Amino acid sequence: MKRMLSVVLFVFISVALHAQFTKASLQASGLTCAMCSKAVKVALEKIPFVQEVKVDIKNQQYNLVFKEGNNVDFDALSKAVEDAGFSVASLKATGNFSNVKAVKDSHAEVAGLNLHFLNGNDENLVGERTITIVDKNFLSAKAFKKYASESKHACVQTGKADDCCKKEGVAANARVYHVII
Amino acid sequence: MKIQRKNYLLFVFIILSIVVKAQPGPGKQAIEIALPSLSGDTLKLSSLKGKVVLLDFWASWCGPCRFSNKKLVKLYSKYKSQGFEIYSVSIDDSKGDWKKAVQKDKITWIQVNDAGGWDARTAITWNITGIPTSYLINKEGKLVGMDLEGKDLEEAVKDLLGK
Repeated sequence: MKRMLSVVLFVFISVALHAQFTKASLQASGLTCAMCSKAVKVALEKIPFVQEVKVDIKNQQYNLVFKEGNNVDFDALSKAVEDAGFSVASLKATGNFSNVKAVKDSHAEVAGLNLHFLNGNDENLVGERTITIVDKNFLSAKAFKKYASESKHACVQTGKADDCCKKEGVAANARVYHVII
Repeated sequence: MKIQRKNYLLFVFIILSIVVKAQPGPGKQAIEIALPSLSGDTLKLSSLKGKVVLLDFWASWCGPCRFSNKKLVKLYSKYKSQGFEIYSVSIDDSKGDWKKAVQKDKITWIQVNDAGGWDARTAITWNITGIPTSYLINKEGKLVGMDLEGKDLEEAVKDLLGK
């Protein structure tokens, strides 16, 4: 019995350890036609944890595949796009979730990142799921304002842990990504 | 002596690869392009020697390129009979989208396709980093201008035609 428990525990831990964002779809925007420039693709390809960037013309987006075993840094994606002279209009990231409860205004650590769910119907997220990052610099200014005004939490504005996050054990001033599912 | 010769060959090779990789610039001979046209026949850029040629990189999904097509239709009809040709390379992945756009924009000049977007071989060889990108090529097949538009383009074409 004890042995079985440790096996179960081991499987659970390894799943938790392997939790990783594996791919993402990213839309870029700017004053000129973002798809007409190679700059965004080149900038994304240079990021160490990015394995592959495919331009998806039909959906006007970049489909990214992340390297296995690498922790992903969403801010690095947005910085690369901005350095190329454009901005992120949408970022949807797909990862493996192991029992993360999606509760409105709850926090979860997934693949080394602090997530703050801005919506959720108390669903248990298991397996491959896709989240949308709604922090500043990951969507249009107008769309960001909408999310920011709908939440009473200051962390939505700053992207940094605030009182609401600290209660759940997130270190003060740690980066918190606000997401919807 | 043998080693020196080897080094010399290596040196030549390095120089050559640098020259080949550099962005095509004014005064340089246009790098050959041979791609399938709308009918499927392969059309070589070098077959247009003796004409003034505008080499134009574009794609159906590129708004600014489609806008530029409108202007090129007028320029082409005006100077075609005097020895002016346009050689358009589309980097569309979808041949259907390419053909549709050609029809819609009423393009009657040479159209070839190199599928693959930014990874298309021709786009890499010519070091294309944005579209539209265009090169003006003189009757001898040398590059004489890049990304000329409007009046500047028309003046240059007239000049090269010797009118």
